[in-house]
Amino acid sequence: MKTHRKIAFPRYAEYNCALKYFVEQGLDADYILQPTLTRRTEELGAKYSPDFVCTPFKTLLGSMIESLEAGADTLFMTHGFCRLGYFGELQEQILRDLGYSFDFLNLAEYSTGKKKDWVRAIKWVNPKANLGKLTLRVRDTMKMVRYLDQVTAFYYENCGFDATGGTLHDIYQQFLAAMYTVTSRREIEALYQRTMDRLRKVPLDKPAHPLRVGIVGELYTVMDPFSNLELEKKLADMGVEIHRWMNLTNRLIDYPGEKNLHPAIQDLCTYEMGPTSTANIWCARKYAQQGFDGLIHIKSASCTPEIDVMPVLQNISSDCKIPLLCLTYDSQTSDVGLMTRLEAFYDMIDAKKRMRR
Amino acid sequence: MTASTPPTIGLPRALLYYRYGPLWRSFFRTLGVKTVVSSPTSRKTLDQGSALAADETCLSVKIFLGHVQELVGSCDYILIPRISNFGRGRSMCVRFEGLYDVTRNLFRGSGQKFISYNVDLLQNQEEAPAFLALGQSLGFAPKEVKKAYTDAKKREQQVWKARLKAQEPLYRDKSLKILVAGHGYILDDPYVGKVITDFLRQSGVTPIRADLVDRAAALKASPKLSPTCKWEFSRELVGSIALHREQVSGIILLSAFPCGPDAMVNELLLRRLKGIPVLNLVLDGQSGTAGVETRLESFVDIIRFKEGSLS
Repeated sequence: MKTHRKIAFPRYAEYNCALKYFVEQGLDADYILQPTLTRRTEELGAKYSPDFVCTPFKTLLGSMIESLEAGADTLFMTHGFCRLGYFGELQEQILRDLGYSFDFLNLAEYSTGKKKDWVRAIKWVNPKANLGKLTLRVRDTMKMVRYLDQVTAFYYENCGFDATGGTLHDIYQQFLAAMYTVTSRREIEALYQRTMDRLRKVPLDKPAHPLRVGIVGELYTVMDPFSNLELEKKLADMGVEIHRWMNLTNRLIDYPGEKNLHPAIQDLCTYEMGPTSTANIWCARKYAQQGFDGLIHIKSASCTPEIDVMPVLQNISSDCKIPLLCLTYDSQTSDVGLMTRLEAFYDMIDAKKRMRR
Repeated sequence: MTASTPPTIGLPRALLYYRYGPLWRSFFRTLGVKTVVSSPTSRKTLDQGSALAADETCLSVKIFLGHVQELVGSCDYILIPRISNFGRGRSMCVRFEGLYDVTRNLFRGSGQKFISYNVDLLQNQEEAPAFLALGQSLGFAPKEVKKAYTDAKKREQQVWKARLKAQEPLYRDKSLKILVAGHGYILDDPYVGKVITDFLRQSGVTPIRADLVDRAAALKASPKLSPTCKWEFSRELVGSIALHREQVSGIILLSAFPCGPDAMVNELLLRRLKGIPVLNLVLDGQSGTAGVETRLESFVDIIRFKEGSLS
């Protein structure tokens, strides 16, 4: 049975379509979609956040304010293993101090690791939620995340070589927009199939051995094109194949587990150093061993776990002779500065590749 | 079997040393292992650490790396434990998870060896077996190691209880009392936090350390102020504030730039602590103390004015 709630979750890369589906089809509530992230979102967030909290905290806070402005009355916040696990409590306090009234579901309050906590959280949102149906919708939601990640990966590997000059881009944008309108498993499957068919038919002008760059980094900034100033698009457009393992499918749904990734990097680090450290170090080394032309590490300002990964990545870079570009984003990072650094990086890896030939 | 020539272990005088120093020293002493401790923090320590660390690294870790640098070459191993958590809702800042490996990677070219022990209760890795593994890796028999650990634990408790007992009477002191809430490794460091407590004492104020508290009681009390706070050290401070706020005239939240947990927890405390003067002081390792002294003076004046003892 439907609940009166109007639920919102702060913007997170392109994943809000899956959350929307889950809320509308699974929880039987209305989903409020706030505007996409803009300069205003960042400025709002930064204005009300403590100074040296990481940038995603500020962006998420700004997006929460914009969702309240858009009419939401219930906000969701996730838990997490780094400072993310404390975001919810502080963000709620800041919003209350600003005078907003809303219901807040902070998953950090429910994360004791027991299954019944999830049921408790769901019942809080909608006491009349049908748990059987909900389970099915959770599967659909995961499928959406998976398809989104697959299409996105295909897009960034190829968009720099689009012979038509923009068809891939158009198809990808149409796909993203359509993902917000699907209402059933069948529609999800059909949309995915149709999109992949169309993408594969676009003629590519791709050399046999294109420049390949592997991207690793912090969970939010690495995936969110607004937060990383569309780094992947900018670099791809120079004629580079972009690979990024870090996405929700790989980190959450299909994550092989720290124990399974660690053996390949145990000479570099003895322990798990942080929530995404093992994955990023493992992934960076994999790219290096596969002969990639460059590595880029993306993080937001003051992201503690990713600061700690940097010395390890530097050692991978010197061991495997692979160029590494470390980028830290704060709310003042400009487009132009990034472009200059990317162009210099591109020139360097391009020259290196030519020399080897 | 006892190792024929026991190695020398270097202990950096920073971060966890201030918490586990008595445990480590006693453990190694019983085993007959020599330890060297780096000298107290100085400007040079910080400069050396800053040169090694990524820009955004917090002051405390920069200082730590300076201490490691000092020990390099003067011992067989440098001890850097990896402590992740003490159970659910009792995490350490990720810095302490990564510290051993970060340091090892930074000092890769130096030839220095490091040893560690791993505490991670969420992965069923408790302190006692971690010490057993540590002792065995140095060539000692399990029985010897267990005994050394048990003795060291007793010693740790004695030292801790004595520190608590020494502070107890301060809460009944008649002078102006200010609760100073900062991590032990900030307050104990002569170069960082001690400057603050010394200055307060000179100004006729009794500084009381929030971190010197019955830890179990503090953990229990912390959800009153912040229900989802999950960092062990922060929870001890938050709980201590919840337990003692009625007994003091003001609170100083003392943090080192840019401490990750403090950046959030102290912001929350500023928003939730009503009816008591609170000063949020962030130390950044600058050499001059005049700026900090001015802020402390004015904070103390405000409290005295509020209480009617300053006209």
